[in-house]
Amino acid sequence: MVALGLTLIYGVLNQINFAHADFVTVGAFTAFFTATRFATKVLGLPDTGGYLLSLVAALGAGAVLGFLVNAAVFAPLRSRGDELRPLIATIGVSVLLENGQLALFGPIPYQFDSPLARETIRLGRIFFSAQSLLVVAVSVAAIAALYAFMRFTFLGKALRAVAQDRETAGLMGINPNLLIGLTIVIASALAGMAGALLGPVVVLTPFTGASLIVKAFAIVIIGGFGNMQGTIIAGLLVGIVEAFTVQYLGSGLIDLVAFALLLTMLAVRPTGLIAERKEENV
Amino acid sequence: MKLAIKAAIFAFACAALAAQAQDRVIRIGVAMPISGPGSYFGVMGKEGIDLALEQFKGGVNGYRLQVQYEDSACSPLQATNAVKRILDQFKPHVVVGDECSDASLAIAPILEQAKVVQLNAGSVTMKLTESGYKYVFRIFPNAEQQGPPLARNAYDKLKARNAVLLYEKTNAGQDSADGFEKFFVAAGGKIVARIDFGRDLNDFTSIATRIASLGKVDVLPTFALEGQTVRLAQALAQAKVIRGGGGNAIQMGSIWLPYGFDQKAGQAAEGYIRIVQFDPTEKRAIVQDFIKAFRAKYGADRVPTHINSHAYDSILLIAEAVRRGATDSESIRERFSRFKDVEVTTGRITFGPNGQNSDLSVIHFVETQKDLSWKGLDW
Repeated sequence: MVALGLTLIYGVLNQINFAHADFVTVGAFTAFFTATRFATKVLGLPDTGGYLLSLVAALGAGAVLGFLVNAAVFAPLRSRGDELRPLIATIGVSVLLENGQLALFGPIPYQFDSPLARETIRLGRIFFSAQSLLVVAVSVAAIAALYAFMRFTFLGKALRAVAQDRETAGLMGINPNLLIGLTIVIASALAGMAGALLGPVVVLTPFTGASLIVKAFAIVIIGGFGNMQGTIIAGLLVGIVEAFTVQYLGSGLIDLVAFALLLTMLAVRPTGLIAERKEENV
Repeated sequence: MKLAIKAAIFAFACAALAAQAQDRVIRIGVAMPISGPGSYFGVMGKEGIDLALEQFKGGVNGYRLQVQYEDSACSPLQATNAVKRILDQFKPHVVVGDECSDASLAIAPILEQAKVVQLNAGSVTMKLTESGYKYVFRIFPNAEQQGPPLARNAYDKLKARNAVLLYEKTNAGQDSADGFEKFFVAAGGKIVARIDFGRDLNDFTSIATRIASLGKVDVLPTFALEGQTVRLAQALAQAKVIRGGGGNAIQMGSIWLPYGFDQKAGQAAEGYIRIVQFDPTEKRAIVQDFIKAFRAKYGADRVPTHINSHAYDSILLIAEAVRRGATDSESIRERFSRFKDVEVTTGRITFGPNGQNSDLSVIHFVETQKDLSWKGLDW
C-alpha cells in the first residue's frame, strides 16, 4: 500500500514524494491515539471497534495532511513550472514532519497493540496473526477500490488523462491542478491507512516510516515507476522473496537480497515488471 | 585621582575574579542519540544527567559542571561529526558517550588523539576497551562480562543444551552473541542457529516461524533494542516457541532492555530472564535517593531505567574525580584510574588497566512473572 501511493503520485506528477514515509507515520500515530485514547476512553467503544475506527481516522488524517501539504507547498511550487523545487520541497516536508512528530511524541517506542494482533491463526506449522490477515484484506480491498476508481469512474479516467498528458487534458476541459491535488490526497490517505495497519506490527516511533520507505521505493522501481499493476505484483514478489530469504539464507540478508533483486531488475528490465505502454501518433 | 585609582584597582580585581570563576568550570561534552531508532537512549540519558547536574548546581570543590549535548544518532558518522564539533567549540575535559557501540568506537580514537577522557555508560562491544585506548573508561558491563554469566546460568541453572542466538547486526549485537556462544559451547551446549537482523526489521514472523521449525530449543539469548525485542518476543509467543506463548524455550537478555519492556511486550514477556544492573527495588540508600529525586523531577509515576541511572552515575563519577582534586582532562583520567569501590546507583566502580569497570557486584538475574513483575533469582 505504501508503494502504491508512491507510484500513484509518480504516475500522475512524474515526481517522487520523499515525505510519503512520514505520512505513514502520521497515520500510525493517529490510529494509536484514536484507538487507545479517544475510541476506548472517550467513546467507550470495545477494543476491536476502537481499532476499526482508528483505521478510518488514519485514512482521514492522511488525506487531510496530503491536502494541506499540497496546498501549502507542492501546488505553489508546481505552478512556477519548476520540477526540481517540488522534489526538494518533499525532502523539506519530510524533515519537518519527522521532527515535528519527534517533538510531539518523543523517541521512546510506543506499544500499539490491536486486539487482532493478539489473535493467532494456525495452519499446521504456519502461523500468522489476525492483524496480518486484516492487513492483507484491507490492502486488497483498497487496491481493488483504487483500481476500479481509476478504470471505471470519470474522475479516474480524467486522472489517467492528466498522467498521460497534462496539457492536453487541460485542453479537454479537465482541471489538472484539481486532479493532481486529488491524487496526492488519495495517495496520502492510502499512506495514512497503511500506517494504521502497520502500527501494531512495527516498532512505532517517529522514524517508523523511514524503515518502510526504502523497501517501498525498491518495490516501485521493480514494479515499474507509475505502474499500479506492476507495483502490486512487485510488492508480493518482494514479500515472498524476503520470507524465503529469512528461512533459507538468514534474516541478515533480507536487505541484500531485496536490493539485489532491484539491481537485477534495473539491469535486465529497467522499465520494471510491467512496462508502461506509451503510444505516439507518428 | 585617588578615587579613580581605587576604582581601577577594584575593577581589575573584579575582572580577575570573574576570569578565575570562568576558569573554574569542568566542561562535560555529551554525545548521545537524540534522533533515530536509538534516540530513547539519549532522552533517558539526558534525564539522568540533568538530574545529577541539579544536585551539583552548587559546584564541586569550587568547580562548576557545565554540559553540552550533541546528537550522535547512534551513527558512527554523525557521532564523529558531533564529537569534532564538541571538541572545536566547547573544548570539553571529558565526553560522556556514546550509547551505541558503533558510535562509541568511532569517537574513541578522536578523543584519544585529543587527550580527552571518554566516559562510556552504554556500549557493550569488547573493542572499546580492548583497543589500547588510555582515555576510555566504561562503567557499563561489556559483552564478556554479560555473556558468560548468561551462558553459565543457562547451562547450569536452566539445564539448557540448545540455544538460538538472536541479535542485531551491530558491533554490540555481534559481540554479545559471540560472548554467549563462546562460553555456552565451552560448557557443552550447542548453538542451533545464529539469527541476526538489521535495526530496520519490524516484522519477526518469518524469524519466529524459522525458529519454530528448528526443533528443540531451550534458550533464546536476545541482544537487540527494546522496540525490536518487544516485537520479537510477541512473534515468538505467537509461534508458541517461548513460555509466554505456551512453548518451552526461555528468552534471555542482557542489560540492554530498560525497565518497562515487560509491560510493552505483555504476556509474551512471561518467563523472560535477564541480567539487570539497575534494579528499582534495590534497598541501597543511593538507589532509593536517586529514585526519589527522579520521581520528584519527572513525575511520581515514572520508574527510572538503567539508562537514566548510568547517565546519572557518569556525572557522579566526574564530580567525584573533581572532588578528589581533578581540574582537567589529564587529572580526571588519573583520578579515574585510581577509583576503587566508588559507589554509584549501578553498583561500585573500580576501573581496570584497560578502563573497564571490573566490579559486577550488583549485577543479578531477574525473571518476569505472570503479572509482569520481576522476581530476583539468586544465581
